[in-house]
Amino acid sequence: MHMETSEVVWLDEHHEVSLLELVELSGLTAQDLQYLVEIGALIPNNLATSDLVQSKPSMDNLSISELRFSSHTLVSIRTLSRLKSDFELEQNALGLMLVFLERIRNLELQLHGLEGAT
Amino acid sequence: MKFKDYYETLGVARTATLEEIKKAYRKLAHQYHPDVSKDPAGEAKFKEIGEAYATLKDAEKRAAYDELGRHPSGQEFKPPPNWAGNQGGQDYSFDGTDFADLFASFTKGRQHSQQQRQSRPIPGQDYELTTNVTLEDAYAGTTVELSFTVPEHDQQGQIKHVPHNIKARIPKGVINGQKLLLRGKGGKGFHGGADGNLYLNISFIPHRLFRAVGHDLYIDLPITPWEAALGATVEVPTLAGGVNLKVPAGTSSGQKLRISKRGMPKSNLAHDQAQEHGDLFAVTQIVSPPVLSEKDRELLQALALNSTFNPRAHFK
Repeated sequence: MHMETSEVVWLDEHHEVSLLELVELSGLTAQDLQYLVEIGALIPNNLATSDLVQSKPSMDNLSISELRFSSHTLVSIRTLSRLKSDFELEQNALGLMLVFLERIRNLELQLHGLEGAT
Repeated sequence: MKFKDYYETLGVARTATLEEIKKAYRKLAHQYHPDVSKDPAGEAKFKEIGEAYATLKDAEKRAAYDELGRHPSGQEFKPPPNWAGNQGGQDYSFDGTDFADLFASFTKGRQHSQQQRQSRPIPGQDYELTTNVTLEDAYAGTTVELSFTVPEHDQQGQIKHVPHNIKARIPKGVINGQKLLLRGKGGKGFHGGADGNLYLNISFIPHRLFRAVGHDLYIDLPITPWEAALGATVEVPTLAGGVNLKVPAGTSSGQKLRISKRGMPKSNLAHDQAQEHGDLFAVTQIVSPPVLSEKDRELLQALALNSTFNPRAHFK
């Protein structure tokens, strides 16, 4: 039986997705994601660094549809979406949860690096 | 299909209030949610818990479930004709239908919603699979065959479990723990709904020589005490063939000697870029001969008598 070979999309630091793609792929709403950007928990690649030091980043110069994110973000955002749905989380818990998810991811990467190097 | 006692799954009485059901679910979710729990059986357990909660928290689904009566969990079971008034007298076959499927597509006023369901787009379900690849395959790129079962709606709108087999091209440059997305390769959408996606986790099969950390590789490099002391050039295997590595004189155990660009290839954004690679680190291990020849013993004893080196001088 012939099986067509499917091409994959990388989910890593070097490839990007738009906010609309994050909505489509993660299950979170555009409002949820916009909230995460506004509180600085989710950082678009194309938002000026100067915007990020403000307590509430200004997105005046960029429309929502123009925001670009590293595609590996999708991994944490999907987890967040599952947690939101399964634990019936409110929006204000999402930002905190995302910060912790990213911190755990980074710590696990460091731990993996230490384990492999010794 | 086999009957499932959802009340038993959540550990609540059949008379439990919605609040009691929610409380029981949350407690179990904290214990077994796959994003929270480290229990390897947690994911399967949470699926059962989520399935039970999805039915019991919805008044209409719960009423339909209660209508099925009490049966022991795991007992073979078939819903009666006209169950919950929602089959409209049609001759439904429940072959290939899972118990959970009875409630998954059960919507409010189902008996009147056949026409509505025919026009409402239902997106396909997302799936997540893990595939094990060798380091050599990850280095060169490979194709893997994936087999999984997805629920699909048949012409009557019932859910059936259908086997899916697809091939996925794994590009060179994937690393251990890499996530890949196959768009539209999850469950089929229904009534114009988009097909679901397939998420693929890459897991490396442990290699007999190399350890992968991101795009870098590590290999333990055994050297003799005299190679460590005097320095030497030794051949080190890489995934692209052996290379000669200069071990500097005075090398100790645990030193990392870097062999540039002999690690895993990196994913390139631009196709015209030359492929970049991580590095290979050779971690030195000084190994003494388990058995000494007479000659070796004489030479080492002479060295011991004449050397003034004391690696424990800092103890004093």
